Amino acid sequence: MEDARLVQDFIGGNHQAFNKLVNNWQTRIHHFAYRYFANDDDAAEITQKTFIKAYQKIGSLDDASKFGSWLYRIANNLCLDELKRAGRKKSTSLEALKSAPKSDLAPDADQKVIRNEAMVLLHRALLQLPTEQRIVVIMKEYEGLTFREIAEILDESENTIKSRLYYGLRGLKNTFDSWNINKETFSYD
Amino acid sequence: MTKEEARELFIDYMYGGLDIDTQQKLEAFIENHADLKTELKGMMDTREMLQHLPVESPKEQLVIMEPNSTYSSFRKWLEGILDYISPRSAFGRFGVAVASFALLFVITASITDMNIKLDGGEFSLSFGEQAPEQAGFSAAQVELLITQIQQENELLFTQLLEAAQEQQEEQFELTLASFAEYLDEQRSTDLEFIDYSLNSLEENTYYSFLERDQILEEIIETVSYDR
Repeated sequence: MEDARLVQDFIGGNHQAFNKLVNNWQTRIHHFAYRYFANDDDAAEITQKTFIKAYQKIGSLDDASKFGSWLYRIANNLCLDELKRAGRKKSTSLEALKSAPKSDLAPDADQKVIRNEAMVLLHRALLQLPTEQRIVVIMKEYEGLTFREIAEILDESENTIKSRLYYGLRGLKNTFDSWNINKETFSYD
Repeated sequence: MTKEEARELFIDYMYGGLDIDTQQKLEAFIENHADLKTELKGMMDTREMLQHLPVESPKEQLVIMEPNSTYSSFRKWLEGILDYISPRSAFGRFGVAVASFALLFVITASITDMNIKLDGGEFSLSFGEQAPEQAGFSAAQVELLITQIQQENELLFTQLLEAAQEQQEEQFELTLASFAEYLDEQRSTDLEFIDYSLNSLEENTYYSFLERDQILEEIIETVSYDR
């Protein structure tokens, strides 16, 4: 409801309302893009482009209460465009192999190395999924969206979304099995 | 329930989308099928592993809007007025658009003195003061006019030709007279020169004879004296 009110305020000419929308949503959009590309710079760029596009096109938003879904759709389209434009799949997986996200949770160097390697493999496994399965896995597992919301964002049926999620999870499991990774790998948490 | 039907329920089961009755049926079915149980457990473990993927958050706000300016306030006010007076329906908007266009057309026409004329299926549009209309010529009158112009042109051309010819003849005669005069002058000059030359020759010859005679006399005298 707050988003809807902010959207109405912004359309009414209050620019500060858009700043609040950015503040409310930029972390979620950034996380979404980060899990998409496994790269902070790409995630920041996609986040900025998403809000710029939202600013330009907000007049076309029919239902202000669906601002979140609409924003995810913009972000997803930008991610797909970026994939098509730069052929990111290979480069990001190589990049992810070189540098894992930093974490201060590991108590000592050995565990930190193991953890970083496991993170790299998690990223790599996600990047190996077909794009349409990866989007659904990210939206469901990390963004916590409902099947209806995902279906609306991707303009597909709920059954299609569930099917993609099923095959996505099964694909990930097969990848982890082939790399001898299981949940005990992360048991140090 | 078949294995395929059970698999179709896996997603709803994992994400809590099944009612109690269906959930119990699925669980009972899975208990009797070890492969399905392993598969489901594997997918649930995968979900659990995915939760360990860390993520980085942006350190600052990535997009910042500037505060509203005076211009924006004025624009907002203007847009509000326009929004208030604009009709809501598409038909109403179309009507206002047509009326606006008509008003603009009338204003433009009055400023530019626009004249519109429909004559015999011909449409003409002009701006500024309209020139008075001129009566046209008939085909016979045009033909007569052309004939007259042709005759006048012919007469003028003949006169021009004759005048040019006359002028050329005069010029030729004048040139011939000048040339004859020049020849006369040249002949006189030549005769004078010949006369002068003959006189000089005669004079030279005379003095030559005198010198010869004198020399001869001297020789004769010398010879006579010796004897």
